[in-house]
Amino acid sequence: MASDPRTTDVSVEAKQDPSIGVDEWVARTAQRREFAPGWRGDAERLFERMGWWPKLAIAAAFGAIVPFILSNNFQLQVGINALLLALLALGLNISVGWAGLLDLGYIAFYGFGAYGFALLSSNQLHPPTGIHFAAYVSLPIIAVAAACLGLIVGLPSRRLIGDYLAILTLFFGEAFVEFTNNVAPSKLGGPNGIVSIDPIRAFGHSLISNKSYFWFLLALLVLTAAALHLLDNSRTGRAWRAVREDPLAAGMMTIPVNRVKLMAFSFGAVVAALAGTVFAAQQVNVFPTDFDTPFLILIYAALILGGAGSIGGAILGGLLLSVMLDGFLRSPTEAGYLFYGVILLTLIVKLRPWRKLLAVLAATVAFGFVVHAIVEAISKSAVAGQPSGGWISSDLHNWVVVPSNATTAGNIGFVVLLCLVIALIQVKGRTRTVLLVPTLYLAACVWEGVLVENPSVTRQLLIGAILIVMMNARPQGLLGSKRVEVV
Amino acid sequence: MHFFIQELVNGITQGSLYALIALGYSMVYGVLKLLNFAHGDLYMVGAFVGYFVIQWFGGSTALSIPVPLLLLFMFLLAGGGVGMLGVAIERFAYRPLRDAPRIAPLITALGVSFLLENTMLLLFGASYRDYNTSAFISFNTGIHIGPLNIDLVQLMVIGVSVALMIALTLFVARTKLGRQMRAVSADREAAEMLGIDVDYTIAVTFFIGSALAGVAGVMDGLAYNNIYTLMGFIAGLKAFTAAVVGGIGSIPGAMLGGLLIGIAESMVTGYISSTYTNLIVFGILIVMMLVRPSGLLGKVPLQKV
Amino acid sequence: MKVRISLAAMALTALVAAGCGSSNSSTSTTSASAGSSTQAASSSGSSKACTTEIGIEAPITGQVAVLGDEQLAFAQLAIAADNKANGTNISLVQGDTQLNPAQATTVTQQFTSNDKIVGVVGPAGSQEVEAVGPLMGRAGLAFISGSATNPALTTSGKNPTFFRVVSRDDVQGPEDANFVIKTLHPKALMIVDDQEVYSTGLVSSMIPVFQKAGIKVDHESVSQKVTDFSSLVAKVTPQTTVVVLPWQVAANGQQFGKDLQQEHKNATIVGTDGMQSSSFTIPGSYVSAFGPDITAIPQDAALVAAAKVKYPKFGTFGPPVYAATHVIDEAIASVCKSGQTPTRASVLAAIKATNEPTSVLGQPIKFDSKGDLINAKWFLFKINNAGKYVLVTNS
Repeated sequence: MASDPRTTDVSVEAKQDPSIGVDEWVARTAQRREFAPGWRGDAERLFERMGWWPKLAIAAAFGAIVPFILSNNFQLQVGINALLLALLALGLNISVGWAGLLDLGYIAFYGFGAYGFALLSSNQLHPPTGIHFAAYVSLPIIAVAAACLGLIVGLPSRRLIGDYLAILTLFFGEAFVEFTNNVAPSKLGGPNGIVSIDPIRAFGHSLISNKSYFWFLLALLVLTAAALHLLDNSRTGRAWRAVREDPLAAGMMTIPVNRVKLMAFSFGAVVAALAGTVFAAQQVNVFPTDFDTPFLILIYAALILGGAGSIGGAILGGLLLSVMLDGFLRSPTEAGYLFYGVILLTLIVKLRPWRKLLAVLAATVAFGFVVHAIVEAISKSAVAGQPSGGWISSDLHNWVVVPSNATTAGNIGFVVLLCLVIALIQVKGRTRTVLLVPTLYLAACVWEGVLVENPSVTRQLLIGAILIVMMNARPQGLLGSKRVEVV
Repeated sequence: MHFFIQELVNGITQGSLYALIALGYSMVYGVLKLLNFAHGDLYMVGAFVGYFVIQWFGGSTALSIPVPLLLLFMFLLAGGGVGMLGVAIERFAYRPLRDAPRIAPLITALGVSFLLENTMLLLFGASYRDYNTSAFISFNTGIHIGPLNIDLVQLMVIGVSVALMIALTLFVARTKLGRQMRAVSADREAAEMLGIDVDYTIAVTFFIGSALAGVAGVMDGLAYNNIYTLMGFIAGLKAFTAAVVGGIGSIPGAMLGGLLIGIAESMVTGYISSTYTNLIVFGILIVMMLVRPSGLLGKVPLQKV
Repeated sequence: MKVRISLAAMALTALVAAGCGSSNSSTSTTSASAGSSTQAASSSGSSKACTTEIGIEAPITGQVAVLGDEQLAFAQLAIAADNKANGTNISLVQGDTQLNPAQATTVTQQFTSNDKIVGVVGPAGSQEVEAVGPLMGRAGLAFISGSATNPALTTSGKNPTFFRVVSRDDVQGPEDANFVIKTLHPKALMIVDDQEVYSTGLVSSMIPVFQKAGIKVDHESVSQKVTDFSSLVAKVTPQTTVVVLPWQVAANGQQFGKDLQQEHKNATIVGTDGMQSSSFTIPGSYVSAFGPDITAIPQDAALVAAAKVKYPKFGTFGPPVYAATHVIDEAIASVCKSGQTPTRASVLAAIKATNEPTSVLGQPIKFDSKGDLINAKWFLFKINNAGKYVLVTNS
């Protein structure tokens, strides 16, 4: 056979015995996946040969070291939030990623777990002493109750498919918040919620500090991931995947479709409820507004960003989104890292060759100084504004144009920036490279002038922008695999 | 009796607004199988456009042009502006994801929703804006028979909504573009192979759906006066519910679903108690969904292997 | 491609490392430059040492952004005015809670872990205060709320560093109810809560008073996100002469009043402090508030002028936050004047010792041992035909 110009591997000869049923391109896949030479190849080979549980153990070990690196309670709280979101994304992955059922009421299971733990570990029921079960009593009760609730909620999935099931679960989710807010205020607390919940307590030891909750959550996450991985590789997992792709065909292959769907709901509910109990214990209070729809949206974003259908993807998406939202975007300096960092990252990845990248960066810097000089010459007040605190803004002072009254100019600049970005996507080639320069400069000016002054609104804006950009860049999610949906 | 009619009219007014937004949802779902979570925010943008039109012409107490002309401007600008915004969003956020699994554009839509809501928050602040309709359309117009009070604005909302729905139904049923839209909804690849310009058709669909949402926003401002940057979230959820309950992808279904939810809310508030309105309305809708699993007017989707 | 990505990752880490390293130095340069400019203006050498931070926890985005936005604007006004008057260099750190207690916990952890923050304004909701009170207590960080009115917050003892500049539900509720009974003599009334703790707390303290007086009470409930009240208004019978709306969003109250007019109902609206706002101007209504109408207080003229520029449509959530921020600012300034650097403990002690003879709220500010405002005044306004608030009575 003639050597195929498509392959670049010259190491292996193209001569191969043709196999029946295997065409040439397929036969070369083994060649193409030849490992890189040297230590990188050795590492890759070791990684491929390792089973799943050593990988999980290594990840868990890394996770366990984290509380020693983090210096204060806030960072630990960010870590706890991240682990909670990862756990929730894992649970949602079962119904959405594996079984293909759009469950918009998932947050209600989370709330159920939290309220269940709250009722069983506080003075709310049976005043004045209340019920105070230890964790090894209340957690199993809640898990079983959540499984039953998942079954009940999943029952309509017999008759409803797709978006109709989604609506029903959405009702259930909204109904939970309404229920806990308005019904039986003396038993469920009403809008005042349930307060003074016991910490997780077993055999005389209580979890009080953030560090202990971090480790407990990490252990819970690792155990859940392991259990779900085993489930994924079992008949149930295969049944879920079959039902997701084609329920009718799965039914004809003797898979009990209804039972499988109910199991998906149940398992997801149990995972969410366990996350809810830890949430209630760590927060010490639960209120109905903790479980509203915006948080559900966050869980979905985390799952899909990370890659629906993959355990690692769900965990990664949850960790990443939560750390970004709470760790980075809550402080203007760190939000600046993220902003400039992501822009630079996109440039580095998208602009090739490296000469072009350097040219654009140099041009932006020069453009900035020129514009700053011109504007300063025209009117002093237009550059009198102080780029607010941040790691490079004192250096940027002579580069960005920030007027002393930055609000109106900043708003106009923001709208112009959005239009420029849209225009950038439209044009191609040299015009695009040239248009990049003023866009980058305007982005820096708008950031320093307006966006840093309103960190709370900027936080939401950046999350929206990141979601759009990430889904356009990688629709299957970070660790997801490309799928073709048969509609 | 008067109480019943009063609540009915209130319900139909609110229901027509839900129906208009639900129409946009249904249309977009029909062609792209996408649940556009940013749709409610287009409604909010329309309401703000209408508010700024009023301010442009002197403010609610000192209008410089006659009221019918003002209304015309508001509807045209809101409809056209929000329509163009919808087309732009489709072009830049959803088109690259046309062949991705359905769940991916869901998140992009969420991102667009965050972006829209918070851009408006950044530019215009969080204060509620007040249309103050009673300053230029007085309460004394309209139908007043004894204790029954139907405001002119309510009549206008119902009238405009009905007119728009009829126009849309005729458009989809009779015109060439409408046929193209139906073809693309049925099977996009086949439509492309038949020579239909799919990109253009989808852009037109988005334009019409978003324009409807924009006009609904203006009418919400006229009827209920208060607009704020997050009003789209709840309206979007309710309209999504209406679209699905009526049978997603079906235009008359969206209308029916919207009206149903509006009337149910109104009746439950009037006759039972406002505390449990949401719970009871959810309950009714759940029962309806279980009785007719593919929505009221939805087609049972053909399952093939 | 992979090389490209690893290059990008290294560049990003380098950026972050540079940032971490230089962040301390850059903040000191900005504060040094600001400090030197104030040094030129004022002679007090302690201005440089009086550089510190105050946090604000409010729903700056989210469904009730209208409240948080106003609170933020007034806090910024207070800080600007106090920095100028005292020569201090206090900056405001924003913490967005979206009125969600779980987010409030995260924000509070952020503030308690930031050693530069010596005092916090907010949070806005009573639920959030319950969630964060113990955390603040453990960190010894003082926090003053301008809108959390649940009585349990100070009586439970779980929030040792909590203060508030507004009166409590168990005071305001019965006072309002008694006024309604004595002045308006309704046979039947409708009372609507907005499903938030502030509202439900007031409602539960008012309903028993009404029922004891033999009035027929129709208790309704709508969410704050609802803007259409026509269905509810249609339920107002001719015998219902009073509608009590203890709401937080005044614009909704305005819409309710418009719906009443449109459906030709003759009920009088009685609102509570959330409704005291330029957005609520239905003639003939009564509004009870813990704060006076600051536009009517001559000493507040400067504040009113500044507020009209920065946040024209303010209501009743801004001025208490202004007062709260002012209390913390003064505490910090007094610590600096005595030559010390402000710490959480010293600021907490100074706040406990606050004794302002007058404030923007038209009354002296002094806290009791539990954190409540001593002698919180209560004002009642009636809105006249021109939409202006006229003081009817006060305590």
